[in-house]
Amino acid sequence: MRVPLSWLRELVAFDLTPEQLAERLTLLGMEVKGIDRRGTEWANVVVGELLAVEKHPRADRLSLTRVNTGAGEVLEIVCGATNIAVGQRVPVALPGAVLPGNRRIERTEKMGAVSNGMLCSGDELGLTADADGILILAPETPLGAKLADLYGDVVLDVDVKPNRGDALSIVGIAREVAAVAGGAVRLPPTDVVEGGRPAVERLSVAVEDAGLCPRFVGRWIEGVTVGPSPDWVQMRLLAAGIRPISNVVDASNYVMVELGKPIHTFDAGAVARDPRGRAGLQVRLARAGERMETLDHVERALDPETLLIADASGPLGIAGVMGGATSEVSDATRDVIVESAIFDPVSIRRTAFRYALRSEASLRFEKGQEFRLARLGADRATRLVAEWAGGTVAVGAVDTHAQEPAPRRIAFRPARVDRLLGTDLGIDAQREVLRRVGIETEVSSSVTDVAIAAGENPASVAASAGTAVIATVPTWRRDIEVEADLAEEVARVHGYELVPPRRPPTEMPAWRESPLAARDAIREALVGAGLTEAVTYALVSPRMLEAFRWTFEDRPAVGEAAAQGRPVAVTNPLSLDHSLLRQSIVGSLVEVVDTNARHAIVDVAIFEIGRGYGGEPDRSHEWWRLGLALTGAVEIPAWNQPRREVDLDDAKGAIELIARLLGASAPSYSPLTDEPILHPGRSATVEARLPNGDLAIAGVVGELHPRLAEAWELRARRVIVAELSVAGLTGGSLAVVRAAPLPRFQPNERDLTVDVPDSVPAAEVTQHVREAAGAHLQEATLVGTYRGHPLGPDERSLTFRLRFGAADRVLSDAEVDTAIGTISGALADDIGARIRS
Amino acid sequence: MNLDDLSRDLETLAEETASALAGASDVAAVEALELDVLGKKGRLTGVLRGIGALPADDRPKVGAIANRVRATIEAAVAERRTILGSAELDARLRAETIDVTMPGRPIRRGSLHPSIESMAEIARIFAQFGFVTYETPEIETDEYNFQDLNIPQDHPARDLWDTLYVDIPGRLLRTHTSPGQIHVMRTVKPPIRAILPGRCFRYEAIDASHGTEFFQVEGLMIDEGTTLGDLRGLLDEFAHAMFGAGKKTRFRPGYYPFTEPSVAFDVECLVCGGPGCPACGRSGWMTILGAGMVHPVVLRNCGLDPERYQGFAFGMGPERIAMLRHRINDIRLFLENDLRFLGQFR
Repeated sequence: MRVPLSWLRELVAFDLTPEQLAERLTLLGMEVKGIDRRGTEWANVVVGELLAVEKHPRADRLSLTRVNTGAGEVLEIVCGATNIAVGQRVPVALPGAVLPGNRRIERTEKMGAVSNGMLCSGDELGLTADADGILILAPETPLGAKLADLYGDVVLDVDVKPNRGDALSIVGIAREVAAVAGGAVRLPPTDVVEGGRPAVERLSVAVEDAGLCPRFVGRWIEGVTVGPSPDWVQMRLLAAGIRPISNVVDASNYVMVELGKPIHTFDAGAVARDPRGRAGLQVRLARAGERMETLDHVERALDPETLLIADASGPLGIAGVMGGATSEVSDATRDVIVESAIFDPVSIRRTAFRYALRSEASLRFEKGQEFRLARLGADRATRLVAEWAGGTVAVGAVDTHAQEPAPRRIAFRPARVDRLLGTDLGIDAQREVLRRVGIETEVSSSVTDVAIAAGENPASVAASAGTAVIATVPTWRRDIEVEADLAEEVARVHGYELVPPRRPPTEMPAWRESPLAARDAIREALVGAGLTEAVTYALVSPRMLEAFRWTFEDRPAVGEAAAQGRPVAVTNPLSLDHSLLRQSIVGSLVEVVDTNARHAIVDVAIFEIGRGYGGEPDRSHEWWRLGLALTGAVEIPAWNQPRREVDLDDAKGAIELIARLLGASAPSYSPLTDEPILHPGRSATVEARLPNGDLAIAGVVGELHPRLAEAWELRARRVIVAELSVAGLTGGSLAVVRAAPLPRFQPNERDLTVDVPDSVPAAEVTQHVREAAGAHLQEATLVGTYRGHPLGPDERSLTFRLRFGAADRVLSDAEVDTAIGTISGALADDIGARIRS
Repeated sequence: MNLDDLSRDLETLAEETASALAGASDVAAVEALELDVLGKKGRLTGVLRGIGALPADDRPKVGAIANRVRATIEAAVAERRTILGSAELDARLRAETIDVTMPGRPIRRGSLHPSIESMAEIARIFAQFGFVTYETPEIETDEYNFQDLNIPQDHPARDLWDTLYVDIPGRLLRTHTSPGQIHVMRTVKPPIRAILPGRCFRYEAIDASHGTEFFQVEGLMIDEGTTLGDLRGLLDEFAHAMFGAGKKTRFRPGYYPFTEPSVAFDVECLVCGGPGCPACGRSGWMTILGAGMVHPVVLRNCGLDPERYQGFAFGMGPERIAMLRHRINDIRLFLENDLRFLGQFR
């Protein structure tokens, strides 16, 4: 809501600077978002008087003028407008002026004549809407005065909250100002000079459903002359952000800004007559198949839920949203109907959304209108039309619901208000505070119902005699319905700053494990291992979703949700790029790798802990996953650290780190050869189990398939990715470490080298070693591999370091020899391995 | 062989050893000499072999001389070894000298994402005040996201949340973390102190201060006597923890359909400190969160008796908090994942 202070001062007196006023209003809940000073763009624009206007000798459409700007100087200025004459006072932009739109005025030559500045139109100054001629100022306008001093204004941009539709008006803001500055609000005059036949003989209004239109006030003005509004009206409307159109239309917009009451005007001549010869307006829902052309000259098919203003021959306008083209007030209009109605807010809101026609008017209607405003607005608009466009106002008005409702009476308990606010105001102070915003109160002497909930499911409690106060709420404050609303009003007007802060002394809730505990530990560990945390969009493109849909069988870790359900689509996406909820994280991470490559950052190690989403007809699924993506150098290359490219083992190392963190066994890997996202020879499923056998980690790790990398035109050569379900991402904490006693006896270590064909995975060899070794094998670690002479081309040797030990003694060499012998035999027999001696 | 001869031999040995030591050029020569003179089969032992031929009276005298000579030689050997040893060490140290001004071997460390870390930090601060953390779904129902929060269908307040809907009937992407309040109040009984961090979605064009996806942290405290003053006191503590002790705060009316009274909470401009600058829109204040006393209708929707229980809720944007703290001027940076940005956070 743009509030020109010149307009505001007409309705309420205050002795505050714009900044002070802005702060007071902000502290009252009317947040001032900005202070706009109009006139700063009129530096070097002054009032001049035309001393001479002559035709340009070489250009028919130009005039040579001589202008007195009051500074003892007469300027010669070339002008293209035709509405100027000697003796007029006009705005003169002197050389050096910079007009709105960053238009620089300099001394120029036009067709051989020097022009020392420019005579300005209202439009060029942003002061009125008239672009056709020079702005002719009143004869008494002081010569040489700066335009900014005459017409400059300060406009507050007030953020009016949705519950305060009443404050979408100068009057509404004036009431707030009065509450903080102490003055009284002077309401604008609404009395009208009437004459001729009564309105009820000119106009009839039939409301089909009073629920959708509780009140319709119509007035009639005969014999208007449609033309531009007075300049001061145009200036005011422009300052408030409304474009002037014509005196009649401006009158309705003026009332909308001033009182907050949207008004519509019809060309009465375009409205069909009822059987008694009156203009017959109907307020009804649209009928199937009905169409109309709205003011914006769009032909619209009307939905049957649309509330219309119509006549016998068809729709005239969409009620509260937009008028129709056929009954639009034009220069030819002679008689005008003023419509000032109350409509059902929900109906207006739905309609405005349906036709994407949300306007200043519909915005006010959908917040609900003060019932009284229907008549006040009709009278005020009628007065202004008559004042600005002339004509005779028909006696009286057509009013479908003339009796005004009584103000709402709402009970509250001052003690309860103090208990809610943590204040100690007491009954008298609260009543005094409420009086400042026009809420009169009386102490209830009997048992009183106090409303604590309104709307569809109201509730109230009984307050004993003397404990409740009954507030009479002004009719414009539709937001105050229950006790809590009055509590807020007390706090707001008294001042939130006066609510004493206190550290809560109340009982503490029971301890609860943070669902972030394990997640945070994993994040910290990965960051320590050199990976950077990324956060990417949950909404992705269809192409991304399809390309990175895993086909491997999802197994969630213990306590984690499974990935399930179809992809969920947004039905009103902002763009295709963000239209589907993702089902995997890796795709987004690959995109991050590429984004960074574009910035010449080629060493990328990132992870994200995020959700995947799936849908079913009547419910949704969400699951947490950890995604990894690594590319480029592992460590930071430096003079003392040669560059090493990341490979699968680095990603595995990160996974093994997490396994240790979770207290799980070392992860085991199985070849994954048929996952389209991954390189068939360099990918594995991975799982790690907790001591009790539960899955701690499950998922896949591998190199991005070169085909996919190509399809996505990745700059990175190799990207290693992983997507894992990890126990604890959804919640829970890390298992507490159980310390094992230190061994009392030295272990016995042996290296064992076996030659195996490439077709036998190392994991299988390790497993056979473990199974055959007997109870004394404490650890089997792969410490080296070798290929080449004397091995065959598809063979490699694997060297394991085996640690044997017992809790109660040092093992003898003979015992270890026996175990090695058993292992060797088993490897030879089961997988055809050759043992090196 | 008599006493005198023997004594003279011992003295001679001492002198010869001394001059030999002086000629020794390294520790190895000293050690060889030591073995030659003092060893089991060394020259000192050889000289003393003649002791058996002496009269019994002279033997102790020779013993005394021999001990003195041994001590002298041992001292001389030790001294020479020390001298030569430190020279050798010096030479070695000189040879081992490197350019210590060269930079060290870099250790790679990643960084925590500022959105998530900001959320975690907020949760940590409120944990100190006894707030426990919950997480709730991102795909929500209209009931949880709006209706149960006192925002009926077609309510003008819905303009505050431009909503993304999904192709599951009645579901949407939560526009705020406030539905978490409903989940918590339906799950646990007061006293409640809860923090609810998480991702939210809005149908809003992306610009420097808005994103379609962003995070929020919701707070909820419900008890029998929790007041607006408690909210103010707690938020002051939070502002001091997050932005620095002594930072001025401002408590003013706001609007949310699910709180009454509603609050907007400002902290003094972190850039200008009060006088006003472009960063704070010349007001001297920066709004960091919205809050209010939970509306009785919302309490009742969750099965709590609004006559018995009262409390407050608040919600804030961790990105906004991070932007204020770290002077980040564009919210789009948070989801771009440009490592030149992320790498600045350690």
